[in-house]
Amino acid sequence: MKKLVIFTTILCLTVVLIHSSCERVIDIKLSNDGNLLVVEGTIELGEFPRVLVTRNQGFFENFPSDLQGFVDAFVIKDAIVTVNDGNQTFNLTYTELPFYPFYFYTSTEFAGEIGKNYTLTVNADNKSVSAVTSIKPPVPIDSLYFGLNVFDVNEDSLGFIYMEFKDPDTIGNAYRIYAKKKMEPFYFPVAGTNFSDQFINGRNFSIFTGQSDKPFAAQDTFIPQDVFYKIGDTVDIRLASIDYTTYNFFNTLEAAAGGNGNPFSAPTVVKSNIKGGLGVWAGLSYSTKTVIAKLP
Amino acid sequence: MSIFSAQKAILTLVILFSFINLKGQSTFTVSGFVKDGATGEFLPGANVYLDETMQGTNTNAYGFFSLTAKGGKYTLKSSYIGFTDFQQAIDLSKDIRINVTITSKAIESKGVEIIEKKVEGNLSSTDMGRVEVSMETIKKLPAFFGEVDLVKIVQLLPGVKNAGEGNTGLYVRGGGPDQNLVLLDEAVVYNAAHLLGFFSVFNSDAVKTVDLHKGGMPTNYGGRLASVLDISMKEGNNQRFNVNGGIGLIASRLTIQGPIKKDTSSFIISARRTYIDALAGPFVRESSPTKGSGYYFYDLNTKFNYRISDKDRIFVSGYFGRDVFTFKSKDSGFNIRIPWGNATASARWNHLFSNKLFLNTSFIFSDYNFQSNVEQTAFKFSVFSGIRDYNLKSDFTWYAKPQHQIKFGLNYIYHRFTPNNVSGEIGGEAFDLGPPERLYAHEAALYLSDDYDVTDKLRIHAGLRATYFQHIGPFTRYIKNEFGQKVDSVVYKRGEGIKAYPNIEPRLLVRYTLNKKSSLKASFTQNYQYIHITSFANQSLPTDLWFPSTSLVKPQFGTQYSLGYYRNFKDNTWETSVEAYYKTMKNQIEYKDGTLPSNSVNDNLDYFLTFGKGKAYGIEFFVKKVFGKTSGWIGYTWSKTLRTFPELNGGKEFFARYDRRHDLSVVVTHELNKKWTFGAVFVYASGNLLWLPTSVYYFEGKPIINYGERNNFRLPAYHRLDLSATWTGRQDKKFKSSWNFSIYNVYSRLNPFFIYIQTTGSPQQGNLKSEARKVSLFPIIPSVTYNFNF
Repeated sequence: MKKLVIFTTILCLTVVLIHSSCERVIDIKLSNDGNLLVVEGTIELGEFPRVLVTRNQGFFENFPSDLQGFVDAFVIKDAIVTVNDGNQTFNLTYTELPFYPFYFYTSTEFAGEIGKNYTLTVNADNKSVSAVTSIKPPVPIDSLYFGLNVFDVNEDSLGFIYMEFKDPDTIGNAYRIYAKKKMEPFYFPVAGTNFSDQFINGRNFSIFTGQSDKPFAAQDTFIPQDVFYKIGDTVDIRLASIDYTTYNFFNTLEAAAGGNGNPFSAPTVVKSNIKGGLGVWAGLSYSTKTVIAKLP
Repeated sequence: MSIFSAQKAILTLVILFSFINLKGQSTFTVSGFVKDGATGEFLPGANVYLDETMQGTNTNAYGFFSLTAKGGKYTLKSSYIGFTDFQQAIDLSKDIRINVTITSKAIESKGVEIIEKKVEGNLSSTDMGRVEVSMETIKKLPAFFGEVDLVKIVQLLPGVKNAGEGNTGLYVRGGGPDQNLVLLDEAVVYNAAHLLGFFSVFNSDAVKTVDLHKGGMPTNYGGRLASVLDISMKEGNNQRFNVNGGIGLIASRLTIQGPIKKDTSSFIISARRTYIDALAGPFVRESSPTKGSGYYFYDLNTKFNYRISDKDRIFVSGYFGRDVFTFKSKDSGFNIRIPWGNATASARWNHLFSNKLFLNTSFIFSDYNFQSNVEQTAFKFSVFSGIRDYNLKSDFTWYAKPQHQIKFGLNYIYHRFTPNNVSGEIGGEAFDLGPPERLYAHEAALYLSDDYDVTDKLRIHAGLRATYFQHIGPFTRYIKNEFGQKVDSVVYKRGEGIKAYPNIEPRLLVRYTLNKKSSLKASFTQNYQYIHITSFANQSLPTDLWFPSTSLVKPQFGTQYSLGYYRNFKDNTWETSVEAYYKTMKNQIEYKDGTLPSNSVNDNLDYFLTFGKGKAYGIEFFVKKVFGKTSGWIGYTWSKTLRTFPELNGGKEFFARYDRRHDLSVVVTHELNKKWTFGAVFVYASGNLLWLPTSVYYFEGKPIINYGERNNFRLPAYHRLDLSATWTGRQDKKFKSSWNFSIYNVYSRLNPFFIYIQTTGSPQQGNLKSEARKVSLFPIIPSVTYNFNF
């Protein structure tokens, strides 16, 4: 009897410790929700509009195996894109560039202004989608400084750029931070820096930022040199002012990118302002400042 | 319900009660308590009847009965499953008191086979969808990690669904996990789960009875749409000191009980604690130097009772349980501590005004809270939430006439809700998160019901429950513009009424006896539910928040119709039933699409909720063998559960997460001989629904998941076989012991726990890939538990 008990106990503990969880790849067949138009459009203060039009793809379909195949599958080059600024409608024409966003629609006939409502209409793939946005005034950056990564006590060269600014007294301001290092040609957004004045209204506030998210970067690698700034880096930071609708979009977009069907997180529906489609049509304005990363 | 139908219901009741005083004859009453001779514990639900007329009743929750009959000589009989029968000749020429003492067969039956009186309570009562589970049965069934769990057994009943491993949430007849009233000695237990639901909070050693109402909720219960799980704790042996306990693989239990003064007062203390972090193992990264990390839970049940006189008795009971999860990483200075748990206390006073009027008054405290503290060097973050109730309740039972048993009572609850509250700081700079949002409410109920034998064959339970809920101040209501930005606020003072909901809930249950072996039952019930769980995740989690009805959140309203046919075979050895139900639910709650948990901080959470309706229907088959060496049951349910929300899923109807087409449970115990008893449990259930992504698109060069229709994917079916063997060791007066050997998931079925999506690679490198991964938790798990009693 005793032996049996001891044996069972050992057996159980072994099973529990070795096999407590088991993970397998499974095949899932789900019908696609139909091709939807995806809009990645901005109208920046004093800048020409830029609208990238793409389509979605069934989740478990095979992805194209090279960039060209990828472009062919997702990018729409023959859309009819117009913007109305309240008085006049402008046609945006298809343009290609050797750098991001590569394929987009633009117009040199008008630039973004504060106080106007911009209505975007996109017709493609026999579908029509629309959205409205406006530009908020820029909020100045007071100061930038470098600080070592506080999450790792042994760190002595990598860290964040801290930004200080004062949120205006009015309620309803929202922000997103874009950044680039001096030798990088373009600004890209920094993950996790989309925030509103919900908790900081009218206050002096400081926020830290890492490096920007490069488009089409691999999803499953963490390289500290690509995330943190190094002592000696010259860094340009842009504080973008956005409206609440755009803020809600980026906020849910980041949550959706992080959720991945995990049952402990909610399936996140991205709050798009594109009627009938996906993505965002965003009005933006910036204030910009540069800092050299060094210890105080 | 409309004013018109409320009037009609009231009228019906008035007509009903008007019969009460019509028949005046020389009748007398025999009343008293039924108790267990070995422990002195009162036995609720025992059958008491007059053999000559077969006129009978069941004892109430405190073991009290009252029978009124025409004067004459009778044989008073009493029976209770697992106990020897009682009989005594009585001369009913005046009102008499008899305290019935019966003893457990297990004690008396040494060598002598006692022929059981076959009770047929399932046929004669008006109860529909009511199941009592005997703790003796539960203890002989296979145990998970050696821990016997009554909620897990309740989930094996037809119409009750579990949601698989890691979830003790009950899903009763298409209702959500917040639609069950879980009571421990009348105190509401808001979160009945330990360790994400692998164990329930109920320590089986301290539990006396388990009673589930899944349909046709009697009038004395309310406040939830789907079911009542009423659990009573043992009172404590008032005859002699007794210690029992168990040593299992991951937890040990110890219970001490005994008389304070023999026959008059007694106490019981029961404790349980887990001591291996094996279960937390998979959640802690092995590579981390994470000394100090771990997980444990414990709970403590205590009860004390004192019989002041033959007419007055008081009970004081308490429960306290905590789960604590800690994670420490010395290298990075990262520190997490997450404690959560329930605390309840109830003080009750039984008073007999006469041999026909019984009163119980209770004062009850319930609390559930959750906290999560994260700390890393300069960064501190803390989330807390919870609910606390003060509850006062008086329930009268009036044995008015032989044909009428009238219950009436009142109930008042003061609620305090603490939804998601966050505090945090970085480098000494605190976030301005506003004051913690707390919500307060009054909830009150007044009810009256009559169990009325209209004829020999027809019995009805008719009742009305008037309920009232009021959200009160202090409260700050933010006023928002069209973009959801706060532009103004209205501040309500302490105690100031904000929104009130008065309602009437009619209940009608009818039983018609076809013959000695079969009966038909039907019920119509309406319920309001004023407090709600709001949940983001696919799983029931300790972070689920309770939230009151407010000016934006209207109370949930449910209507259930059910119809059943009951038939017993072989002198009530076999009980069978078929029950069909149809249910509608209004004002069901979900978060709006795109809501994030952080949205509700420093805001009114109800702005992020959206409302819809639901319906559920199904048919349940139940076959139970009550007596004999082999006993057990087979339950099968076919059902559908749907929801419609104007703002979700494009307004299209969708299946609820726990919609389940087929659900089968087989439970068998077999007593081979005095030493060995075997148990087996088999479950089969259609898979749960998940809401999975249907398409992907690119934004700023990143793949973004797009979700299609709600709950668009059904997981593979869940099935599992568990076996157990109980070896009864020494069984003498001084010491008893037994060993329980269990094998969980005998054929090691890898049932899905959850599915997640992993996307790897990048389109530039041409290696982009998305795949779904299924995670299963428990393969075959043998366990052993040693139980003792002295």
